[in-house]
Amino acid sequence: MNGTLNGSMNGDAIIKLRNIAKSYWRETLEIPVLQGIDFDIPKGGYYALMGPSGSGKTTLLNLIAGIDRPTGGSLEVCGYELNDLDDDELAAWRNAHVGFIFQNYNLIPVLTAFENVELPLLLTPMSRRERRERVEEVLALVNLEDRMLNYPRQLSGGQEQRVAIARAIVGDPDLLVADEPTGALDHQNAEEVLNLMARLNTDMGKTILVVTHDPKAAHHARFQIHLDKGVFDKTVEVNR
Amino acid sequence: MIILGLFGVVFLGYLAWLTWAAIAYPIPLSYNLRSLWQRKVATVSTAGAIALVVGIFVVVLSLAQGLSKAFVSSGRADQAIVMRSNAQFELNSSIDRGQVRILKVHPLVAKDATGPLVSAEVVVIKIFQKSDGADTNVTVRGLEPTGIRMRSQVKLTQGRWFRPGLSEVVVPRKMQLRFTGMELSRILKMGGRDWEVVGVFDGGGSSFDSEIWSDVVDIQQAYKRESFSSVLARLDTPERFKAFKASVDEDKRLKLDAVSEKAYFTELTKSGDPIRILGNLITLILTVGAIFAAMNTMYASVSGRTKEIGTLRAIGFRRREILASFQWESILLCGLGGIVGAFLALFANGIQTGTTSFQTFSDVSFAFTITPVLMLEGVAFSLVMGLVGGFFPAWRASRIPLAEAMKG
Repeated sequence: MNGTLNGSMNGDAIIKLRNIAKSYWRETLEIPVLQGIDFDIPKGGYYALMGPSGSGKTTLLNLIAGIDRPTGGSLEVCGYELNDLDDDELAAWRNAHVGFIFQNYNLIPVLTAFENVELPLLLTPMSRRERRERVEEVLALVNLEDRMLNYPRQLSGGQEQRVAIARAIVGDPDLLVADEPTGALDHQNAEEVLNLMARLNTDMGKTILVVTHDPKAAHHARFQIHLDKGVFDKTVEVNR
Repeated sequence: MIILGLFGVVFLGYLAWLTWAAIAYPIPLSYNLRSLWQRKVATVSTAGAIALVVGIFVVVLSLAQGLSKAFVSSGRADQAIVMRSNAQFELNSSIDRGQVRILKVHPLVAKDATGPLVSAEVVVIKIFQKSDGADTNVTVRGLEPTGIRMRSQVKLTQGRWFRPGLSEVVVPRKMQLRFTGMELSRILKMGGRDWEVVGVFDGGGSSFDSEIWSDVVDIQQAYKRESFSSVLARLDTPERFKAFKASVDEDKRLKLDAVSEKAYFTELTKSGDPIRILGNLITLILTVGAIFAAMNTMYASVSGRTKEIGTLRAIGFRRREILASFQWESILLCGLGGIVGAFLALFANGIQTGTTSFQTFSDVSFAFTITPVLMLEGVAFSLVMGLVGGFFPAWRASRIPLAEAMKG
């Protein structure tokens, strides 16, 4: 994390959204995607962002993960007001605080599983030996220690997603964001990935925010935040 | 000028940053190498185009190098060529016997056991047929036996030297390769006489590899010349040239100019300028094409890897790290082609060729000379092509909005 960044955690909330708005412009026409979003997510929470297509779930996830910027409102994540960070600071912040899990895994095809997982660590001051130990540790955690030297094309979809999860947690981030993490997996692999994410939440205390259409995936979360047409609808606690 | 200077500063600054980025930035070069390997067809075709351009570039440079070597190795700093005042070349100079006699007893001229090291010489031009059937002018030099000894780079390789009064000639071995009817014992027709080829010499890559030699008096008689074209004089040391020149200038009986033999032949290297200009023009046109080929390949690569770029950015890599990575990929791609091209050019090394000198209006034989320095220049040239051709695609890769890149 860039040392010049100045952040502090406010209470237990790791994500604090205040009156968040996001619009896109098509020539002179403003297209609002999100309006007046307010909510907090506590540290260690497991939340699913739900809603119909076009409700703004992925846009909101992108704002929280520092991939996009809001057009209005205040956005404090992991103790940092993201609006105050410039592009470089935001990149450093993402590296230190956020792990990404994508629907299509987004592994770099020319890098091995080991090298893919190592990528976030290349931005840290860790030595080569420290990096190797850490990568081996997280690959063992996702049961892929015997697949370290395989390229993504040599892995199954489930294995690829587990490599992506290993890459997301290798830097020990506070927050994991996932966009339809089981969308490209069969039932069995989807279940494995969801169980793994649940373990990361319960055993390692990671805060997880998942965008999903899949009710089963959403059921693994402890709370569901529902959006509708770009506005906050409701928060539902999941009964197990 | 100021704009060029500013451009130079920006270019060098960018180059320095890029060099530093290769060491300090975290995206490994192996990622770029493997990405190039993954797109084999595009990589091979672009690298092939670069190889072709670099090959031509190196061969053009080697032409100029070979020509320059031929002339520069012909002259010695301790020898002077004396010609008529204001005559720039031997062809338009004339020196009479009286002037030659004065020069032969000049106090600054070096002597050996046989006497003063001075050779009065005549140069004429004769048309001969090359092996490809084309006619070309060839320099025929009539010289004294001392003249042979004064050109230590010239070695007899076959037969014997010509004898005065017998209408005999010796020809360069390299000329035999490019002209017909120059073999030993063959008869050459010159100045209304038959001349027998009695010897073959090696001019050591100098411009003498382009001249036929015979006895000076025989040539004068055949071409009905009373005068000489030039006088070659050896001095004790190169430092004596200044005094020798001043003395020739001041001597009212001579009305001649002395030039250092080395400077004279260096001036003759300008005869390669048309080749150099034409070669550079061709290279420039091909270079523009190759840069666009590299640019096109890199644009396609960036376009096909938008999601990868988005992933790298999401993980925490900054825009400038993406810029440096793609810029290096382009440099690697072109550098690969450059190395292949530089080695391809080696096939031209040593091949004998010739051109017409616009100073002497005669053929100059020389060899393509590919040196390690020329090959390195070729590779450096390819790296510059990679730098220029890859900049805009790399810039684009670094500027794609992150949210857009994530969508692929």
